[in-house]
Amino acid sequence: MSDNTFMGVPRNRIPWAPTIDYAKCNFCLECDKFCPHGVFQRQDGEKKLVVANPHNCVVFCRACAKTCGPDALSFPSKPEVIQLIKQLREGATEA
Amino acid sequence: MTEKYAVLPCNGLDKAFGPLSREVALAVLAARGGELVCPVLLHRAPARYAKATAQWPLLVIDGCATRCASRLANEQGLPIARKLQLSAAAKAAGTKVGESLTPGPAGLAFCQTIVADFLKEAPAAGESPAAADFPGVIEYEGFAHDKFLFRVPKSGYLFNENDCWVRVSGNRARVGISDYMQQSLSDIMFCTPPEIGAEIEQFGEAGTVESSKAVFEVVSPVSGKVVAVNMEAADQPELINEDPYERGWIAELELADFESDRGLLLDCSQYLELVKKKAAEFQK
Repeated sequence: MSDNTFMGVPRNRIPWAPTIDYAKCNFCLECDKFCPHGVFQRQDGEKKLVVANPHNCVVFCRACAKTCGPDALSFPSKPEVIQLIKQLREGATEA
Repeated sequence: MTEKYAVLPCNGLDKAFGPLSREVALAVLAARGGELVCPVLLHRAPARYAKATAQWPLLVIDGCATRCASRLANEQGLPIARKLQLSAAAKAAGTKVGESLTPGPAGLAFCQTIVADFLKEAPAAGESPAAADFPGVIEYEGFAHDKFLFRVPKSGYLFNENDCWVRVSGNRARVGISDYMQQSLSDIMFCTPPEIGAEIEQFGEAGTVESSKAVFEVVSPVSGKVVAVNMEAADQPELINEDPYERGWIAELELADFESDRGLLLDCSQYLELVKKKAAEFQK
């Protein structure tokens, strides 16, 4: 198991990370305070939070969205990501 | 017998769901009796509500996912007996209550529905049906890291990389969270098991476990239909901290396709290695 894999697949090939809806985000920073993996970052000089390290995000974890009062965080579809992981695993076995 | 409650709404003033939490609280109290707990005064002078919270079960009403009322109850060491989360309930029902801070007709109608559903539900009690037999004394492998000791069973369990376990017995399986995850969450104050009868995909949500730090989604290691839930752990969520692999199980599923699910899971020794890696990374 190398450092950056999830279920045997390189983490950077799995598109799992939050998306911030800036129309809803009120910059309360609850998600940033919560996330122990440093996924979010405050943008210098601006009242804006960005998803700076998407590949630090734990695949299938949606805990930050569950702290978000204004419901501004969304994630990709789990079944689609699972399907992709399965395909990538099969590809790795065949290769 | 109808149950009285000490009712703690978030009463948040700057979002639409805050004033609605108060409306729900007042309606529950009108139907059942008990006492309204003001969050501001509870924070400032908890003794004011000591009698009510000792006498009656606590119903917490959070307006939004910030969960101020739940966190306040937790800070005050008050066990939460029942809980409503209005923004999540509205989303699930596809209801829009608007942005107005003064409750409008849509918001008030939504409150009525929430209250009617709440009053209909029988308080959780007794054994859940059809729990399969999962006997045996579990032996554990311990792994010390810093001041923590993380336990992983020596055999008989499978894990996913989201720190959830499954234990299979015939065509039934129990799922729960690992010792590593319960320690990461710290004191668990609320467990919401999945609905009995729900069909869950592998890696789908099998309930949630909540501490003051986070709401953790239980990622089901297997697919199947929920046939039983652990009411003991729902009533005493500290069981999940104390005994995460046995008495702290969360749901029991009738397996749908274990042979296929199995291929994506880790055995005990593989999971132990993963926990060591996670613990080491966390210290960085």
